[in-house]
Amino acid sequence: MKKSGIRVENLVKQFGEGDNAVHVITGASFEVEKGELVALIAPSGAGKSTLLMMIGCVLEPTAGKIWLGDTLVYDNAWSKADTRTLRREKIGFIFQAHYLIPFLNVIENVSLLPLTNKQSEQQSTQISSEFLNFLGLEDKLHSMPSDLSGGQNQRVAIARALATHPEIILADEPTAALDIERAHSVVKLLKDIAKSQEVAIIMVTHDERLLPYCDKILKIVAGKVDTIDNRNSQPEQSNLA
Amino acid sequence: MINLANKDIRHTLSKFIVTAMGVGMLLGIVLIMIGVYRGMLDDARILLDDIAADLWVVQQHTLGPFAESSRLHQDIQDTLKSLDGIAQTAALTFQNIQLFNRQNQAVRVMAVGIDPLGEFDIIPRSRLMAGRVLQAQHYEMVVTDKTGFQLGEKIPLGRDTYTVVGVTQGTVSSGGEPLVYISLKDAQNMQFSYSNPRIRNDRARGQSTQVTQLVNTVVAKIRTGYRADEVAAQIQQWKHLTTYTHNQQTAILNENLIERASKQIGLFTAILVLVSGIIIGLIIYTMTLEKIKEISIMKLIGIPNRMVVQMIMQETLMLGAIAFVFGNLFAHLIYLQFPKRVVLLWSDSIVLFFVILLASFIASLFGVFKVMKADPASAIGG
Repeated sequence: MKKSGIRVENLVKQFGEGDNAVHVITGASFEVEKGELVALIAPSGAGKSTLLMMIGCVLEPTAGKIWLGDTLVYDNAWSKADTRTLRREKIGFIFQAHYLIPFLNVIENVSLLPLTNKQSEQQSTQISSEFLNFLGLEDKLHSMPSDLSGGQNQRVAIARALATHPEIILADEPTAALDIERAHSVVKLLKDIAKSQEVAIIMVTHDERLLPYCDKILKIVAGKVDTIDNRNSQPEQSNLA
Repeated sequence: MINLANKDIRHTLSKFIVTAMGVGMLLGIVLIMIGVYRGMLDDARILLDDIAADLWVVQQHTLGPFAESSRLHQDIQDTLKSLDGIAQTAALTFQNIQLFNRQNQAVRVMAVGIDPLGEFDIIPRSRLMAGRVLQAQHYEMVVTDKTGFQLGEKIPLGRDTYTVVGVTQGTVSSGGEPLVYISLKDAQNMQFSYSNPRIRNDRARGQSTQVTQLVNTVVAKIRTGYRADEVAAQIQQWKHLTTYTHNQQTAILNENLIERASKQIGLFTAILVLVSGIIIGLIIYTMTLEKIKEISIMKLIGIPNRMVVQMIMQETLMLGAIAFVFGNLFAHLIYLQFPKRVVLLWSDSIVLFFVILLASFIASLFGVFKVMKADPASAIGG
């Protein structure tokens, strides 16, 4: 039986009040299981980033419930006052650009969060090296981000997101800065990670060519989320790395 | 744990060093300003300490000879000797003059008129670098090294030519001008005698003949067993003179000549420290702004504020510390080029170091404020 990675119930987000109120999310409910790669799609301004920020414990919802794994993290209020700890312990983030810390080398970028989570230096380095090896960057451990290609940097960012063994990964258009070939290889990698690391991944994307890799598609329509089962869809063979 | 400040500095080392050098030069100027102040205090005391007189007798109701014009008859020197408490006396004149060197450049100096055969040494032997003290009553001059004149050099002054017979080290007036010593007779001629046409004109007006046996002050040393203030009180009873002890004369110099200048320099220094603090603050604020995207990402992925704030503070303190080292190097490299004495004391440097640390700490609060305000949500959505 599959375990739940993310569960959202009647999530509401409203900006402003009274006549000026803007209702961005009006009652979103969906579930993403561990091991699933899910695409979040919607036209610009429909609330993708808002939804992602609420699940990522960055933006406080107006109402609703959010579970990350088995933990109810939001029930009309955050379960922990310190949402940053929630983020550090439960969530991995991947962004449009890699946003690595430019003054840290590859292994330091990846091991910074485990170190912050009070893991020993040896443990942090070992975990980080394992993920970087897994992502094919074993010979780049001590390179600076400025010396790597865009695709390599994005893989380092993925390793950073994985290094704390998060329950979920939120990827905000992780392929936006990549060409189509690299985009396919990164999304395939995310799919592999979701399966092998038993982690729920929500990926915001505008690129419909990447949707076949996803197990589900979450589509925001008029502030609500429609869940589309996409398991029968297969990526084009030519795009598979 | 990874030291973020160290890593960041290493990543932009050349930029950081150049910035620290810039701030360091500013701190160097602060050190020089403090050095100018110290130099001024030292200069003011050099002549007083070299003469080492216990009493300064001057024209009645004046603060002379340094703070106000003072004239009294030279024979007061002999009258003073009749007092039991007086051991030695010397009559002195002081006047600012302009000499010309071999390149015909003007050299402003203060000429001290002393009796070459007087009872006590006005020029301490320890200050004599070359040559000898004055021995003749005319046309000899002892100069200080800062004037640039050499031993044996002939210096034209008025209608006469003087020969440099000695060179002293570091003797300056209370105003910081280099000192030259000439005989009392020559000095009196220069200061008090008139030209022939002026004398003729004065006679035509029915004015009395000029008096050149004047001096600006008579100094005295007291005998062992006597107190300077008691002897001064005794002289004061004569009603036509004013007498100051060494301490009173020092106080007059400090209060009348140095205090305002030192306040001015002190204010200038305080403004420079403030400006340095603001500049360090602006630099740190700009450095923080440059990293604001990374800081937002760090906050979003869960790095605690404490780590980011620590990074900003460490960078600020490191900037302050490196700038301080550069400031000291800079100050020590250039201080000799200043025309007036600049005294650099390590104690001043250490005080400035702590002031700069404090200023840097306060300055870093600008960056810290920016960090606290950085919105982690700005990392999402591009």
